[in-house]
Amino acid sequence: MREVAIIGVGSTVFGKFPERVIAELGSEAVWAALQDAGVTPKDIQFGYCANLYGGMVIGQAVLREAGIVDIELTNIENACAGGATAFRRAWCDIALGLYDIGIVVGVESMTTSPVAGKLIPPAKGDISGELGMNMVARFALSQRRYMDVYSVSLEQIAKVSVKNHHNGCLNPYSQYRKELSIEEIISSRPICEPITLLQCCPATDGAAAAVLVSRDLAKKYTGKPVIVAASVIRSGDYSYRWKDITFSDMTYKCANEAYKMAGLGPKDVDVCELHDAFAVNELQHYVELGFCERGEEVRLIDEGITEIGGKLPVNASGGLLSKGHPVSASGVAQIVELAWQLRGQAGKNQVTNAKVGLAHTLGGEVTDLESGAVAVHILKR
Amino acid sequence: MTTRVPFKEGLFEEVSGKWALVGCRCKLCGQIFFPKRKVCLNCLSPDVERLNLGCIAKLYSFSIVHMPSEHFEPPYAAGWIQLPEGIRIFSPIRGWQEHPLKIGIDMEITIEKLWDEGEREVIGYVFRPCVPGREDMKE
Repeated sequence: MREVAIIGVGSTVFGKFPERVIAELGSEAVWAALQDAGVTPKDIQFGYCANLYGGMVIGQAVLREAGIVDIELTNIENACAGGATAFRRAWCDIALGLYDIGIVVGVESMTTSPVAGKLIPPAKGDISGELGMNMVARFALSQRRYMDVYSVSLEQIAKVSVKNHHNGCLNPYSQYRKELSIEEIISSRPICEPITLLQCCPATDGAAAAVLVSRDLAKKYTGKPVIVAASVIRSGDYSYRWKDITFSDMTYKCANEAYKMAGLGPKDVDVCELHDAFAVNELQHYVELGFCERGEEVRLIDEGITEIGGKLPVNASGGLLSKGHPVSASGVAQIVELAWQLRGQAGKNQVTNAKVGLAHTLGGEVTDLESGAVAVHILKR
Repeated sequence: MTTRVPFKEGLFEEVSGKWALVGCRCKLCGQIFFPKRKVCLNCLSPDVERLNLGCIAKLYSFSIVHMPSEHFEPPYAAGWIQLPEGIRIFSPIRGWQEHPLKIGIDMEITIEKLWDEGEREVIGYVFRPCVPGREDMKE
């Protein structure tokens, strides 16, 4: 296996842009990544595009607008983990020596999707979906039990949203740039109790892209390559094997595999972008990603350890909660943010001297499984 | 007369006046599944037997949903139900306005109308909090 490096990244500003078509959003991110990498469209040998709601061959429509045609191009769907899955596929192709240079793009227009203004349901015909399941309810059920069994308060959960919205204020790419108080978050309208509106990520349009090359080729393009130290994806296991709905076994397994692959541990992580679709997720993922023992996750928030100035900043970008969550773009957007962090180019969101970054996404709801997919990537400089 | 159709075939049945979920148990490894499967998805043995799952269960977690789903208008309740056989299923919950929900309380299955589809009533399983002292709850 060859080592793989990221030589260029790009992103649109995240927000609500119903007037912008998907090809336009995606190609803006692609052009930015190409420019950042210092390569031309003609240099790109292959590509992956993640998208959930846009329809047929979205990747072709996106890359057409960036002058990238007549290549091996694959469209990917893996719910919220789609972007990370596309990145993983590109990593594989280069690591295995199929190609030397490729592009990954994740793009979503939630405001023009069939689920705009609705809670996201599982696929048509899914038993739980027929009976009223949706993505918010799924995590509300976890949160209810988490609060009940582990005596975690709504105030403590809301602190995640306070932190990430603060970080979002610093990020010019963020959908929301507004400070929130615990009181505002808790008293916002209930969506699926105990989850209120401001504990949820918003509906977002946006795109993110990255150019990957084999590591030996990277020095030709940049003095600051970002190395992919680990890339792991897992599908969900049967829910009868899922002992505790407040603990994501998939995330735990993925993280352990990723640490092993990178030869690193949770203590080596300097900056982390994790899947905070709902505020409660972040606290739970601290445990599953090995950042603390069960019962200590609230302390990480209370003591400011996961703030930008803390020992282990989490979602310095604002996370899905504030930066926004264009579903299939988010996994790539996390990679983009970490690349900026490791290159020292994250502006006001910069974590001092970050050397190792971890990205985590979790996506999809389907009856009888824990979740659809989890991805963990570890990047280093 | 209104026709009543299950929202999906083969998930539940009435046995001597009581409703039950139709699952299966693997005769080799003992794993229980709902809905029933033709082979055991745990050990792949084809030797699985049909098993009706208990009608009294525990509430594992719940939520009151304040936005519409494809078939339900808000507010509606749903939750994870821990079946006595050890597996959990997702189910709509009714009767939550009269009897406040709490993790761990006993829940019973009933088959009720879920939604209308033209002239037809679509039915399915829902769980309701067990009410102490009620005649039909006495064993």
